[in-house]
Amino acid sequence: MDIQQLLFTFANAEVAARYWPDIAMGMRITLELGAWVTVSGLILGVGLALLRALQWRPLTLLIVCFADIMRALPPLVVIIMFYFAFPYIELSMSAFTATWLALSLVLAAYAEESLWGGIRAVSKGQSEAARASGLSWWQCMTSVILPQASRIALPGLTNRVIAVAKNTALGSVVALSEILNNAQSASSNAGNPTPLVLGALAYLLIFIPVVLLGRWLEARMAWRR
Amino acid sequence: MNTAAYPILELVGLRKHYGDQEVLKGIDLRVRPGELVCVIGPSGSGKSSMLRCCNRLEECSGGQIVVDGTDLAAPGVNLNQVRQKIGMVFQQFNLYPHLNVLGNVTLALRKVQGYSRAKAQEKALAALARVGLADKADAWPAALSGGQQQRVGIARAIALEPRIVLFDEPTSALDPELVGSVLQVMQELRESGMTMLVVTHEMAFARAVADRVVFMDGGVIVEQGPPDAIFGAPRELRTQAFLQRVCS
Amino acid sequence: MDALLANFLNVAIYKEVAPYLLQGLWTTIWLSLLVIPLGAGLGLVLAILATKVNNRGIRWLVALYVDFFRAFPPLVLLIFIYFGAPFLGWELPKLGSIALGFMLNNSSYFAEVFRAGLGSVPRGQEEAARSTGLSAWKTLVYVTLPQATRNVLPDLLGNVIEVIKMTSLASVVALPELLKAARDAQSMFYNPSPVILAALLYLALLWPLVRLLSHLENRRFSNR
Repeated sequence: MDIQQLLFTFANAEVAARYWPDIAMGMRITLELGAWVTVSGLILGVGLALLRALQWRPLTLLIVCFADIMRALPPLVVIIMFYFAFPYIELSMSAFTATWLALSLVLAAYAEESLWGGIRAVSKGQSEAARASGLSWWQCMTSVILPQASRIALPGLTNRVIAVAKNTALGSVVALSEILNNAQSASSNAGNPTPLVLGALAYLLIFIPVVLLGRWLEARMAWRR
Repeated sequence: MNTAAYPILELVGLRKHYGDQEVLKGIDLRVRPGELVCVIGPSGSGKSSMLRCCNRLEECSGGQIVVDGTDLAAPGVNLNQVRQKIGMVFQQFNLYPHLNVLGNVTLALRKVQGYSRAKAQEKALAALARVGLADKADAWPAALSGGQQQRVGIARAIALEPRIVLFDEPTSALDPELVGSVLQVMQELRESGMTMLVVTHEMAFARAVADRVVFMDGGVIVEQGPPDAIFGAPRELRTQAFLQRVCS
Repeated sequence: MDALLANFLNVAIYKEVAPYLLQGLWTTIWLSLLVIPLGAGLGLVLAILATKVNNRGIRWLVALYVDFFRAFPPLVLLIFIYFGAPFLGWELPKLGSIALGFMLNNSSYFAEVFRAGLGSVPRGQEEAARSTGLSAWKTLVYVTLPQATRNVLPDLLGNVIEVIKMTSLASVVALPELLKAARDAQSMFYNPSPVILAALLYLALLWPLVRLLSHLENRRFSNR
């Protein structure tokens, strides 16, 4: 296969010109979904970690069960359950909602685990010093423990956010028209893999900066010790 | 010694046990305004537990803890209200590593006492000046020596203008050459009239600066009195044995 | 409640599809056993290159590789290889493209873990070993690697769990692993019970590993 042919197959300008708007639309959905998943997953994760910090046994048990199940199930299985199985019990949802909900719950489980690990890693003296000066449990949590815990949890947390946000591609399985889905159908319409290459580039365009941002945060947030 | 005033801190029959092991077997202690009381004793004698019960960082199992007229052990007491009146200085400093020196001192001023940022900073700088660290307000805890960190810890406690400050072995985690600066600050505090309860291993400091020395062993106060009496002529055998061990 | 029982926990259907799903589970397991050593092995090599070879070019290349595959969704990678390779004139067998895709993806994660592990072993260990006459290679094998691996055991297990879950992506390219088997059964019976059963089988396979992971993390925490 010579270079001309290779370019014609994988970087076909004509095909690219015809289908790039599809990829761009997919990018919008991917970005939107990724942003929603990140926000709702992190908020839920922080909430669960705080509830767990109350150390009320029945609640802790529930949270641990939730986190275990969401960490044990493949996210694709969760999405397929929400989209294909729940309509049978009168719980229909759109492809976007199913993917968003599934990935948010998965991210929440991981975020809760990382943050709880961080909370426990903050030395006991910190909460003692804070409580001794009259700060309430909540003030101590928000002003002293969580800022330190989130810094400890940060490397794991950014990895998780990236991994879960990448999984927005799983939405293609339930026909959500995000990048991968659009690229695949464009590529079978065109009989040429150029749209798939465009799709791959679109993912790199979105996630390479996120990965680099994660590395930068990690380096910047390293302990001032 | 000002015997007329009512005590700022009064422990009555304070008991504490972990499981069936009793670590405090009925402690009675009064600390009067302006007094510096040093608590000495072997490790495991219960002196740190007693101190930590005074602001209920540890829960006691029985007895009364009366601070400035409020019984801390009573149900329904507003603990955070009372804790502002009781400063605490820790063996491991426990400075907040995510806040700079000023942030460490202003946190409770702003969150508990509700001062504005500007007012809190003004009070914090005054407290830092008292420990000789006004120039370190913008430094991060990790950039300070152990002695400086502990002085920030003291500033953090006194900035709230407490009625009494509890010191939990404040120099035990310090390199020997840094101990002096912290003891110096404590002595100046005492001269300014601050009431202090100090658990310490620094016998020389206790002897030179304390108004009263309390010797604890096995969860009870064995003997207490003026430093000269305790160090010069201890009455109890256990006190004599302890002092012989640590002072030889 | 009846709808729930009939559609999610239909025992009759469970019984009928169980052999089929168990076959899928078996495929999931051996696929995992194939791709985990591949990914871990390549990841280890990359980590050694990045930490033990004194060459900035190589370090930079490894970092590029790792970041590239961290940014690339595994499903996209899989589909790219699966549908793209034939256009290149390569007739990769289905299993070959799946294994290649998974290996490229998870080797980057394993590389990060091993790199952290190798970085966690104090320099004095290597110096002590070299001072007794051990070669660089033997030092790595007998002194540095065992400690490095032990230090990152929880993260390695975490990666293993992620890879096992990732095998469910192979259903998209019609490899009859557990999820694909369940979806086929679902369309055969017009009933989602097989998917629920598949979820239960995934839980049975992975929950013990997730518990073990939490246990290891707890131990690491309390050892500090």
